[in-house]
Amino acid sequence: MKRWSKISFKRIEPFLYLAPFLIGIIIFTLYPIFNVFFMSFKENYKYLTGEFSGYGFDNFVQILSDPYFIQSLKNTFSYVLIVIPISTCLAIVFAVLLNQNIKLKALFQTAYFLPMVTSVTAVGMAWKFMFNYNSGLINFFLNLLGFEGINWLQIASNNFAALAIFGICNILPFIIILLLSGLQNIDPLYYTAAKVDGANTLTCFFRITLPLLAPTICMVLIVNTISTFKVFNELFPLFNGPGIAYNLFTVVYYIYYQFRGLTPPKYGLAAAAAIILFIIIFCFTMIQLYVQKKYSLEENKS
Amino acid sequence: MKITIENLTKQFDNHLAVNNFSAQIESGQLVSLLGPSGCGKSTMLNMLSGILTPSQGKIWFDEDDVTDVAAEKRGVGLVFQNYALYPHMTVLENICFPLEIQRVPKAERIARAKEMAQLVHVEDLLDRLPKQMSGGQQQRVAIARALVKKPRLLLLDEPLSNLDARLRIEMREEIRRIQQSIGITTIFVTHDQEEAMSISDAIILMKQGVLQQMDKPQELYDQPKNCFVADFLGNPTINKLNAVYEGGRLLVEGMPCDIETSSVPASAPLYLSCRVESVLINQKPSSIKGTIIDTYVIGKENIANIQVGNSRVRAYIDSDSALRPTEEVTLSFKNKGVFLFDANSGERYI
Repeated sequence: MKRWSKISFKRIEPFLYLAPFLIGIIIFTLYPIFNVFFMSFKENYKYLTGEFSGYGFDNFVQILSDPYFIQSLKNTFSYVLIVIPISTCLAIVFAVLLNQNIKLKALFQTAYFLPMVTSVTAVGMAWKFMFNYNSGLINFFLNLLGFEGINWLQIASNNFAALAIFGICNILPFIIILLLSGLQNIDPLYYTAAKVDGANTLTCFFRITLPLLAPTICMVLIVNTISTFKVFNELFPLFNGPGIAYNLFTVVYYIYYQFRGLTPPKYGLAAAAAIILFIIIFCFTMIQLYVQKKYSLEENKS
Repeated sequence: MKITIENLTKQFDNHLAVNNFSAQIESGQLVSLLGPSGCGKSTMLNMLSGILTPSQGKIWFDEDDVTDVAAEKRGVGLVFQNYALYPHMTVLENICFPLEIQRVPKAERIARAKEMAQLVHVEDLLDRLPKQMSGGQQQRVAIARALVKKPRLLLLDEPLSNLDARLRIEMREEIRRIQQSIGITTIFVTHDQEEAMSISDAIILMKQGVLQQMDKPQELYDQPKNCFVADFLGNPTINKLNAVYEGGRLLVEGMPCDIETSSVPASAPLYLSCRVESVLINQKPSSIKGTIIDTYVIGKENIANIQVGNSRVRAYIDSDSALRPTEEVTLSFKNKGVFLFDANSGERYI
């Protein structure tokens, strides 16, 4: 009897160590995910009483005919399509520069990474001042260069540009860190070999650095596409909401809006929007993984 | 192409890597830069290739002063210890790369690359990536890549260190064959004396940035200029006995020795160095006595370890020798392979 309990304890023991974390995940992650999934199909759902009239696609039909939701899809897609390529290209340039043996290298690296350890909201407040029409730094420099200042925050049609600029600069440090680690894995001997053969900096960059950095760039693209699809935090410090004239809904903001912005809140619609966002991100990630896999397979074949 | 190195010096922060180095390398020769780690041989190589700029001195390629010429304009081919093949390019692309930089038309560069691949025997591997090949194959590709732009000088930086023992012997013969077949002046950096002895026309032996001796391999072994050269070359290493010149005769470990000496300062500490094959046991009457410590066999050779005074001496013995440990023996020396050095300066007297 004693022997049996010893063996069974050995079997259970690992699960005891896993339990705290597992319980946390189940309560705070898994349960909400399933809940949202079911909620999105419940028609006329009343959160407080838990009543609903039946399962169906009513929520999806409703949000897909909601102009704000269509606008949020458009904004989110534009945001991803603009922020990801520009920020990645800029980050590659900065990472390569930061990887050179320059004077004050540590100082530059610290300066570039500082925004990463600061909260989005704090950085956003700083950007809000920089975007200011009359006294902002950005317009100041535009004026210096002979351009007219732009009213970034108060004119609705300029809001998206302000958001994209803020988004690009905000995501840059993170990409630079990842790319720098990739760059440091490239053997400097390749450059010595190429230099002895007479390769210039550009040839080295396109024929050596870029191909050897490709796996890191792929990883950066996947991680950041997921995170930029969820653009939300950036809206608050700049506009206190979805743009100056309800013109800058993003999908996550739309979800938040259905929860908090309406009385009574429409949980069903929020859940349906969340499911649609999930499907979009899932598809994009699958496409990227497929491309990456095919790319690396081809490389192995040749 | 003839290379002339004139008073070359390289100073790093507070470390003198190469010190007042002068040498001349004849056209078409394969010369080894030999020396222990940190003796400045890689620094020498990097200065020849143009990667490093010398602090002082000049380098001449034939009649051209190339001291201040950039690496890419010197026309040197460089092979690295770990090959440094571009991992994302196939063998063909790797060999083509130097020509691609020179903007050689595609058809021509492929033709030239294939010709090189044939020379180094990798013509069947053109579509492979570096990681799909063995170390020896990668080394061949690296040599082809260095040679494809028809350099005037081929520099090899410890090219065999990453290979296993058997492959090392095969590859060093290959390097010699390739070098001979195109007749290119080649400098080969190594810390392995056997490698250097087996393939070079001449060896430059370095120690702490200073050229010790430059000579044909056999000359270096037979006629070392100083104690370091004698110690560095030879396997098993040379025997070293304490000696002193007193009262008109040489005392070895306190015992009188009949080796002819002249112009040796009296009472200065000396080393009598003798090659293992130059020690004779119990063959001539001699007053140098020793005690056998042990005997052992390496391959086909039987070696005895003998205590002489405060030093140990190794000597070859017959395989059927009856010598046993603790036995007293008489030692004498052949004429060849016996040297007398100053113990402090390393200077050679005989």
